Amino acid sequence: MSLPTRRQILRATAAAGLALPLWGLRGGNSSRAASGTARRAIFFYFPDGVAGPSQDGEPSEWHCSGSENSFELSSLLAPLGALKSECLFLNGLTMGATDSGSHPGGAKKLLTAVDGGNGPSIDQALAQTAGKDAPFRHLYLGAMAAQNSPSGDKFISYPSPGQTQAPEDDPRAAFAALFGAGGMGGGMVDSAKQRVLETAIADAEALRSSLGDVERAKLDLHLGSLHELEKRLQGPMGGGGASCDAPTIDTSGFGDGQLYDSARFPAILRAQTDLMVLAMACGLTRVGVIQGSQHTSELVMSRFEGTEMFTPDFDMRSHQASHYGPNHDLGKPEYAAYVKHRRWWVEQFAYLLQQLKDRPDPEGGGSMLDTSIVLLCSEVCDGNTHLHDNMPFVLAGRAGGALSPGRLLTFEGRRHADLLLTIAHAMGQGWASFGEQSSGPLPGVLG
Amino acid sequence: MSDAVRRRADPGALLLIAALAACRGDGRAGEAGEAGGTDSSSGSGSDGGSDTQGEPGGCDGVDLGQRQLRLLTRREYDNTIRDLFVLPPGAGCEGDACAGAAAACALAFELPAGGQTWGTVHVAGSFNAWAPTVAAGGWALAFDEGADVWRGEFSFDPGTYQYKFVIDGANWLPDPGNPEGAPDGFGGENSVIEHTCPPGQAGEFRPSSLLPVESRPEGFAFDNNAAAGLVTAVHADGYLRAAERVTEVALANRDGWLPCAPGDALDVCADAFIGQFGRRAFRRPLAADERARYVALVTGEGDLTTGLRIALQAMLISPNFLYRREVGGVDGTLGGDEIASALAYTLWGTMPDAALFTAADEGALASPAGVEAEARRLLADPRAHAAIGAFAIQWLGVEPILTADKSVAMFPGVNVALRRSMLEETRRFVTHVMLEDGRPGELFAADYSFLDPTLAEFYGVAASADESATAPLPPNRAGLLGHASVLGTYAHSDQSSPIRRGLFVRRNLLCQELGPPPPNAGGVPEVDPNATTRERFRQHSDDDFCRACHQYIDELGFGFERFDALGRYREQENGMPVEPGGDMNDLEGLGLGTHAPYTDLRGLGAQLAAAESPRACLSRQFFRYSRGQHEVSADRCAVDALTAKLGETDDVREMIVAALTSPGFLRRK
Repeated sequence: MSLPTRRQILRATAAAGLALPLWGLRGGNSSRAASGTARRAIFFYFPDGVAGPSQDGEPSEWHCSGSENSFELSSLLAPLGALKSECLFLNGLTMGATDSGSHPGGAKKLLTAVDGGNGPSIDQALAQTAGKDAPFRHLYLGAMAAQNSPSGDKFISYPSPGQTQAPEDDPRAAFAALFGAGGMGGGMVDSAKQRVLETAIADAEALRSSLGDVERAKLDLHLGSLHELEKRLQGPMGGGGASCDAPTIDTSGFGDGQLYDSARFPAILRAQTDLMVLAMACGLTRVGVIQGSQHTSELVMSRFEGTEMFTPDFDMRSHQASHYGPNHDLGKPEYAAYVKHRRWWVEQFAYLLQQLKDRPDPEGGGSMLDTSIVLLCSEVCDGNTHLHDNMPFVLAGRAGGALSPGRLLTFEGRRHADLLLTIAHAMGQGWASFGEQSSGPLPGVLG
Repeated sequence: MSDAVRRRADPGALLLIAALAACRGDGRAGEAGEAGGTDSSSGSGSDGGSDTQGEPGGCDGVDLGQRQLRLLTRREYDNTIRDLFVLPPGAGCEGDACAGAAAACALAFELPAGGQTWGTVHVAGSFNAWAPTVAAGGWALAFDEGADVWRGEFSFDPGTYQYKFVIDGANWLPDPGNPEGAPDGFGGENSVIEHTCPPGQAGEFRPSSLLPVESRPEGFAFDNNAAAGLVTAVHADGYLRAAERVTEVALANRDGWLPCAPGDALDVCADAFIGQFGRRAFRRPLAADERARYVALVTGEGDLTTGLRIALQAMLISPNFLYRREVGGVDGTLGGDEIASALAYTLWGTMPDAALFTAADEGALASPAGVEAEARRLLADPRAHAAIGAFAIQWLGVEPILTADKSVAMFPGVNVALRRSMLEETRRFVTHVMLEDGRPGELFAADYSFLDPTLAEFYGVAASADESATAPLPPNRAGLLGHASVLGTYAHSDQSSPIRRGLFVRRNLLCQELGPPPPNAGGVPEVDPNATTRERFRQHSDDDFCRACHQYIDELGFGFERFDALGRYREQENGMPVEPGGDMNDLEGLGLGTHAPYTDLRGLGAQLAAAESPRACLSRQFFRYSRGQHEVSADRCAVDALTAKLGETDDVREMIVAALTSPGFLRRK
């Protein structure tokens, strides 16, 4: 063999073994995980819904049945078996009737809880509040989320009403931003850099005051971004004690030009998931979104080597499989594939949870999962009917003691705005409402 | 179809009217599902991309555009850096900041036989869809008896791949000569290879690779939507890193931008540099206090290079560099500097040149006639090709051909080079028609194109002797509808898609918005090896409920059926003849009840070439591109004026000039 490869491990620019200072401990009250507050929130998105109630009226293959404390995992959620006691299963939540039946309509409402995405999303709102003292207020990682130069409705994070942001789809670039120069690895006080940034801030403020009301929101966002960067460049302050040793991620499974190759998707998503956990373990951010693919996904999941989906001679795409027909017929190739696809996504979510569970929270209080709140979500319920009722949400983590998982709760017809509000409360943000038609946190979720 | 939907469908006519309203994306959420309302950037929600024609009201009001700051797109950022620093070709082109990644190259595989007698050896992996035999598209190794080794050399795109050797079509072995492996999912190991290739031709410096991709509002084809151009924290981070990278490249190449002689005093040099470079970087003269602040940055370190480094980085992340202003004075009239930038970025995709700056300084852009003169100069310059090429690629939405998944088993020859050739054909052809020919009908009817040898072979014709000259197309293709970039983008990985192709024509070429399918619409008909695609989609026309919308989609998309998922010509599918004719119902507007039959794709193109609606749509798309926003109802007259100009002159260039000299372009509210 002429060109054997070496396993590709990305390392921080700091020398291996050097203990990088932990960022998280320097913040104010909002970042303190006093008892009953989550230190971090993660949103894990997958596309094209689940095998929910079928068109012909068969029951959902996703939702669990039973009572609050005595229930069986559904077949699609079976990969969460070992983590059942870490998850809170939610039935009955609705995103409302507007655009029900539409993938983009659902993606717009999913994290904003506002029709048409005309509001900031919960992750961005938390980034400005609970996450504001972290070096990175927000971390938005994608795996093939921007495939095929998509329109912005494929992205689920809304920094301002009606406007999405694209996630970083390249784990190597994300790693460099987090751990390279300018990220934590470069976190030394640099007076020259400070002057550069001060000048940019002064220019932005002068521009804002000269324009009056014109483009005020745009420049406010711009200034907030510069201030975040400025704070990060000033480096870690105070505290410390814990450390974040030589961060690495494995990028062996994909190379240049393969970020949008379906066969690489599992490796890319795995690297992004590892990176999210790593960034949070190092205290770099408290609010993260992992977006797997995009709604109406062209991801050829039949090319995932080493999985039960692998059929190299036939292409089965996520969205194609989701249109499985009027009933849950495993004899139909679309439905048979769809079920495998959904289970695979749940496995990826389980991996994320396990990673969090296996790491002690460097700030104390148990494992990282014990001190986090994590949401699994998609933009529609059933992939064939596309309805926005009985949405497939799963919460996980103990939110620093605020959340008692291992239960099944049903909120028939309750708006999912209140789920997002509940997550905000778990993060210490006692808002009265979030999004549209919010009536208060979901009862019985937070202790 | 569900009983519920069926029941709703039974009342017939009434429901079909409702369904048609949904098809047209009329802007209200109907019972059957979502309709229109696609533009979140306008804030009005009133246009949804649907027809603005036919609304009551005259065109006497004043057309005023929006006051806005427009963040440079990634494309504009790269071009601006190149021109601002007058960098030598290839300077700075390293690693991830370099365009023109390496294309496919050959890799040798070998497997020692160790004295064993084998009939065949293939190499199968993620580079060839794990095809174990030549018949399945696999790669066979040849036996070198003297060396007792099986060998083969194959060309494929760089990347990381898994593979195994296949002995006699049945036994799968990892490569004994490669220590790197990964679990194969069957309890064994695949070999893993990182295949690298040398860089191709000299690349271009692309510092924008450090910036996030643009988020385009739904239904807005272009990368320059003003409302979506926001500086999030990720952007700020990227701008700083890009500025650091650019600054180092610039400091190593000072001739094009530093107006100082070696012996100049630091303060003299700083003052000259900020005065001249600052005017170009901010695309306007600096105010006195700004100038003093930046001069102090240069002189503050006591060392020219250090001072320049700080000042350059500061300028490159300043909002005065990153946004171009379309704000105007008290009455909203854009100033000369704002107009100079608007013209340059719209027509060249980069900053103004010296002549444009001079025109702004001398007040030549204060009159529409002066603006028109500059617009015509820019349009006639070869530099217009880059920006109009970007307009074309984005309007047609064909950039995904570079990355769209294609079945490796079905298309073993597909690689980066072929994909680039496909995109390049469309870029060059549309740019040629828009800038050199001018007649919009040529877009759909031309019997020529621009074919490099790779694409000529793919189409089965001779390449042009001179690559800059036009080449005749084979008789089954005409205009951009027959471009492989279009056919391959609007398809799936392994099948054509009458729906995507039909929607492409409706949305991109006719500006007719159709709403999404209703809930329970069911899926794309299953793949059937005993039927043609057209037969599989028959339900869409047999069922009245489906037909209400699909008469506008499939009936048009069927015209492309003689081209497969990669744009290869075919006369048969699954052994059955492919019927290429159909009817473009309601070509001039949904709901008119008119017919436009065609016999094949060329005929379909001829219909488009002769129709009004594609011209109106091209004008509308250019309006969106030039204003950085979706048109709203108040823009109807402005758009109609462009369409009228195009109709009157039959020249795209005249429509472009009209767009850039229109009252709403020059004055904002």
